[in-house]
Order: sequence, then structure tokens, then C-alpha cells
Amino acid sequence: MRRIIAISSAVIMAVAVAGCGGGKLRSQPKTSGTGNNKTFVYSYSLDVVTDWDPATSYSNEIIAMENIYESLTKYDPQTKKVSPRLATSWHAADAGKTWTFTLRTGVKFHSGRTLDAAAAKDAIDRTIKLKGGPAYIWDSVSSIQAPAADTLVFHLKYAAPLDLIASSDYAAYIYDTKAAGTTDLKTWLSKGHDAGSGPYTVGSWNKGQETEVRLTAFKDYWGGWKSNQFQAVEFRVTPQVTTAWQLLQRQQVSFVFRLTPQLFAQAQQNKSLHTSYASSFENLLAFFNTASGPMADLRVRKAVQSAIDVKGLIAALKGSGVAASGVIPEGLIGYHDGLTLQQNLPTARSLLAAAGYGPGHKPLTLSLTYAQGDTDQQLFVTLLTSALSQLGVKLNAKPEQWNAQWDQGKSTDPSKHQDIFVMYWYPDYADPYSWFANLFHSANPPYFNMSYLADKSVDNSIDAMPALTATDHAQAEAAYGGLQTEIIQNQAAVAPLFVQNYQRAYLASINGYVANPAYPDVVFVHDLTTGS
Amino acid sequence: MSLADLPLRSDRLRHFRRLRDLIGADVLTGIGAAILFLVVMAALLANWLAPYPSDAGSATHPEQSLLKPGASHWMGTDQVGRDVLSRVLYGARTSLFIVVCVLVIAAVVGVLLGVTAGYAGGIVRDVIMRVTDIFLAFPALLLSLALALVLQASLRTAIIAIAVTWWPWYARLTASIASSIRTRGYIEAARCLGVSPLKVMLRHVLPNSLTPVLVQLSLDAGGVILTAASLSYLGLGAQEPTSEWGLMVEQGQSLFTTDWWVVTFPGLAILLAAFGFNVLGEGLRSALDPRRGAQ
Repeated sequence: MRRIIAISSAVIMAVAVAGCGGGKLRSQPKTSGTGNNKTFVYSYSLDVVTDWDPATSYSNEIIAMENIYESLTKYDPQTKKVSPRLATSWHAADAGKTWTFTLRTGVKFHSGRTLDAAAAKDAIDRTIKLKGGPAYIWDSVSSIQAPAADTLVFHLKYAAPLDLIASSDYAAYIYDTKAAGTTDLKTWLSKGHDAGSGPYTVGSWNKGQETEVRLTAFKDYWGGWKSNQFQAVEFRVTPQVTTAWQLLQRQQVSFVFRLTPQLFAQAQQNKSLHTSYASSFENLLAFFNTASGPMADLRVRKAVQSAIDVKGLIAALKGSGVAASGVIPEGLIGYHDGLTLQQNLPTARSLLAAAGYGPGHKPLTLSLTYAQGDTDQQLFVTLLTSALSQLGVKLNAKPEQWNAQWDQGKSTDPSKHQDIFVMYWYPDYADPYSWFANLFHSANPPYFNMSYLADKSVDNSIDAMPALTATDHAQAEAAYGGLQTEIIQNQAAVAPLFVQNYQRAYLASINGYVANPAYPDVVFVHDLTTGS
Repeated sequence: MSLADLPLRSDRLRHFRRLRDLIGADVLTGIGAAILFLVVMAALLANWLAPYPSDAGSATHPEQSLLKPGASHWMGTDQVGRDVLSRVLYGARTSLFIVVCVLVIAAVVGVLLGVTAGYAGGIVRDVIMRVTDIFLAFPALLLSLALALVLQASLRTAIIAIAVTWWPWYARLTASIASSIRTRGYIEAARCLGVSPLKVMLRHVLPNSLTPVLVQLSLDAGGVILTAASLSYLGLGAQEPTSEWGLMVEQGQSLFTTDWWVVTFPGLAILLAAFGFNVLGEGLRSALDPRRGAQ
């Protein structure tokens, strides 16, 4: 009998180890159907909310926030221009230094207050004042006026494309600054309240839970409601893509935001699903610690850069990404050909030897953090680990949930910083400035500057870009090229890896989904209808 | 040769004859022995058996990623184009290395503490056993996970973490045997002849406590393989580019429904090795069980 138990245990445990990759699947009702009050369930691999304040929010919560809050304009991926949102029309004067927006009438905040020009001015003023997240997008603004209830006037310090800036995915939200009453607004928001005017409002927020956020329909939404629209949205954290895929097949989630090429091919054959394949402005970057640890040595950074096999990575990605040429993706001003990294192990070896590392020298161990559950990042890490191993360098790679990875990266204690930080970046609006202002401008304490670069010359060049872009396109192109050469080649602060091709799948009963690269990973759920 | 050695040696010969007979007579034990023989051979001869030995280490061939099993790659290739068969063969070496290291550490620490506790008795036994109880109070995998999290994730960390959770079982087992042996006549005789307590422990108590320990070691080997694979699966054990079965399963999990070979072969290797150790351990237990001999 004992033998049978032992054998059974061995079989069960081995099978469990071999098969537990998909994680647990809980039995839940099917989504998007008529029997579930039309709930759209978004399967996301990371923690959703890091900051509920629309003024400072600058992370994953965008997938919820864009359904709760609205900006004045919205980028249209088909026309590649901005379209009306809270503003119905706009025009520039004074050679692009004065912008007048006419606001939509009859719009109410979730608090019940009417959204007018004064409320919009207060929201943007607060965002500028807090200087959190990407508030820099308003740097060109010198003052805002609300001469009429439906008229908002911006006076700029220098010419800037304010209609495009107002479509930004972060920091452009118009919100009710008085929603909290006498309570401090930030504190009130941090508890999972919202002050938006969008189609959905926060129903519940359970930090750390599988279903982290549930949004419910805002009945007084200016866009109105039809019977075939989703009445609720849930964001379900599913770190493993295989689990998300199984949930989608069982119709327990409505949408999986990223599939592996293999699963995407399966989804294309599945008649109960629709798929979406789209190029993006989102790229994967590996940031090298320029301030502390062994990578503070430029030779070590250049050696690691030379060890990266971008060509091999693209081959292994099988269509889910294209090689990055520099920091700026194709389609945006400043994109340059010929900046793709080339693997050169002999060069890497000699650079390491010059820095005193490698065979016959000091042993070198580097730490790297990346997103848990992201198979594309894992692929990069596997290739880099193998390449560095050939150079005698040990790479301690740690997959982490975003909050943990970011907290370590922005710690005020440099000794806690990783040597290599891997993350995706996408622009705040269809312009490359976001990469440079956030990722390579000096920042103390660090926020998104995960290479901890602090170079005054680079800072000055970055600061000059918005005005230059607005006034001299050709010179801006050249200046972005120079910045990339400096940051990537001269300072080796970053390794641009690949630009994502979004491979997504959702239930075939859902209509109206359009991937919008200006709002990566966002599903504008109010735009969707469900056919069953 | 001391008088005490005589029964011991004849006992061992009898046990091994019984084991040999059992392997021949019991199909399941025979299968277990055959599987383990293959695993050991795979580990020892990996350099010669593996079609692409460099793939077990740092070589990658991304342009050949996820090739199906075929003539060039009997078990296909993984995401970065490495030959799965080569990595499975070298994985056997990693797994057996972990098993040997863990069991040697656990057995040496556990047996020495157990014999000391059992022979000394009194407060020494109480202290050692209470410490043992504290370690036993934690679920082994949970304690391993906690240790692996505190230490830097690596193969060495996995070995230490597992060994730390494994030794108390040996301490408890040996302590109970040693406490029964200490009252036997030949121990009393040795004491009366003025043999030092340390010598009595090492020459008389320890050798006579080892048979159950050997049985326990064979039974535990499968469990160690599973625990090590679990730690690697969770990213707390072996790290890239080491060929380790649990790590291979973890890396291939997202491909299970599309490129099944990446995860299936290392998964099967874990299953077979654990199965082999378990059935052989059961056979060994039967062979060395004194009650069976008396029947």
C-alpha cells in the first residue's frame, strides 16, 4: 500500500510540476454575454494600479484611467490626427502660441458637477502645479484662461502642438478638483475614488487581488448608452499568458492584451475569437546603471551592449517585434535607421578585460530585473544570460511584479539599484520627447530614469527639444539623432531592443475594437458593443 | 575486526542479496532500478550522448527556435534554439548532483546530531530534539522557499535550502535508533572496557544506525528531485544557462499548448527520475526490513 502511495505521490508531484505552468483556473461565469450584465473582463499580466491621481498617474493604471477620465482631444490612429473628445473644436493663433478650445456642453463629472472651462482650467493648473508623472507635457503653457463656460484659452511660452499634447495618454485628464469636498483630493483619490467624466467610474478596487479593479457604467455619461454596450469593466491580473489564454478560451475573460506568437496563431484559427495585430510605438529597453555598481564603468556597459544579440532576439520573437533602431520607433520624428545594436562578443570580451573582468580577471556578477510573466522579456534575458556566460559574466536575472521592480529601481538608496532594468516605454503623445524627458533626463530621486543618467549637456539638449520640434522640424530630427548617438553609443546608458507588434485576442462577440498605439494596452470599452 | 563488526557485515551481505533477489523478482523495483540506471548513465555519459553538448551551456541558436522533434533534434529545440535532448541529458547530471549534495549534507548533519542525541540522552537529547522539532514544524517546501528568497537564487542556494529542511528527519530517525542501541549489551560491554563515549558512538552506535538511514536516503532522493525542480520552477534554484529540468519546465510553460516538446520532455524526466527513486526506495525498504527476513 505504501508503495502505491509513494508511486502515486511521485507521479502526481511530477505532473504537477510539469503542468502547473498555467496557474490555477477558477470557475467563473462567462463574460460579455447577456447573462452577466455585460461585463468586459480585461486580462492583464501586471498589477494594474500604482497611482489613482489623474495628475500624477504614470503607469499601468492607464488601462483603467482612460475609461474613467477624458482629455480634451484624442489621437486617431487611422487619420494620424487628433479628434474631438471633451473639446469639440480648437484653433491656434499667434503663430501657434495661443490655443482656444471649445468645450463640449452637457458634460458632467461623476461627482455630479458640470464640466466647464473653469473646471478644466483648475484640473490642468493642479496637474502642472503637482509636477508629477508627465506634467512636463504642459511645460509650454504660461497661462490658462476660461473666458466663457465653454471656452478654454492657453497662452504658450513657445509654439507647441497643443492639440496633440492635449491628447496625451497621461496628465491630460480633465477631472473635478472639488470632488473630495473638504478632504485632500490626493488622499481621497488614493483610496480608489475617482473624479472623472468618462463612461465608467470606479466600482471597487482590491489591491493585490486577482480581480483588482471593477468599473461600473456612469449613467449620465455625455456619450449616452446603448443596450449592447458593456455595463461594467473588470481588470483581472493574470501573470501567466497561458492562464490568460485558457481563460479566454473558456470565455472567462473578454480580452487578452498580449499573446505569444504561438498562441496568437492558435487564436487566429479559433472561430470564437477575434485577433488584432498592430504595430506600435512601444519598445523594450534595457537600462544600464550608469551611477553605481560595476556598470558605472563605461567599458562594462559597452561590453554588455556588445553582448546583446538583437538579431537573434527578433528571430526568436517570431513576429511579435521588430528590431529597434535607436530609442525612437519608426513613424515618429527623430527615427533614424542604422542604430540597431550588433552583437560582437570579441569586442565585449576585450572591453571587459580592459575593465578588469572576465577570465583571468575579477569575476563579474550583474543583476537584472524584468517583468514577471512577460515571455518576450524572458526570451531576451535567456539570450543575454547565455551570451554573458560565454564572457564569464554571471547574470542574476529576477522576474518581478511591476511595483516591486519599479520600487527597487527608484529606491533612494543606490546600493539597492539593479545593474540592468528592463521595461517597455511608449510615448505620452505621438512624439519622441517622452522617452528623453522621462528616461534620460537627470532626476533626483529617480523616477523612470533607470539608467540614473545625470549629464547636464544631455539635459540641456532634451530641454530644448519641444520648442525645436515646434519651430524647426529638420533641426529637431537632427537633434534627436545626436541625442540618441550620445545616449546609446557614447554613454551606453541603454540598449534599445525591439518595437512591439501587438498580438491580441478577444471574444468574437465583441465588435468595435481598434488598437490605438497612442494609448498602448488601452481598450476604450465604451466604443465596444457585444453581439450576444 | 571487532566482534561487533561480525553481525553487521553478515547482515549487510544478507540485505544486499535480498535486494538483488528483490530487483530480480519484483517487476516494479526492477523497473525503478532500470530507470535509475538510465538516469545515472545519462548523467555520467552526457558529454558523449548529447548531440549538441554546447547547447547544455551557453550556446544559443535563435534562428532555430522551436523546431519540432525530428531527425536533427530528437526532442526538438527550445525558444532560443537549444537542443532539448542535450539539455535533458545534462539536466540529469544537475539533478543527481543536487540529490547527492542534499542527501550527503542532510544525512551527515542529521545522523551526527541524531546519534549524539540518542546516545547522550538527557538534556543534550532534549535540546537537539527541540531544535529538530522547530525545523520540522515548517513545511519543507515553504522553508526552502523562504531560505531561497533570503539567499541569492542559485543552484547552491537550492541545495542549501533543501538540505536545511531535510536533516531533521535524519536526526529524529537516528536519535530513536541510537537511544535503543545505547542500552544493548555490546554497548554496555564497550563502556565497561573503558572505551570513550565518542569512540562508542562512532564505532558502535553509528554503524548500527545506518541501515534505516540508507533506506530513508533512497526514499528521499525522489523528493529532493521534486523539491529542487519546484525551486527552479519558481526561479529560486538553478539559473540560466544551467540545464535543469525544473527550470526548463518553467521556461517552456507558456508554450505547453503550442510547442509541447519544450516542456514535456523535461517534465517526463522529472516524473521518471522521481518515480524510479521512489519504487527503488520502497524495494530497498522491503529488502532491508528485518521483519521481512524473519518471515
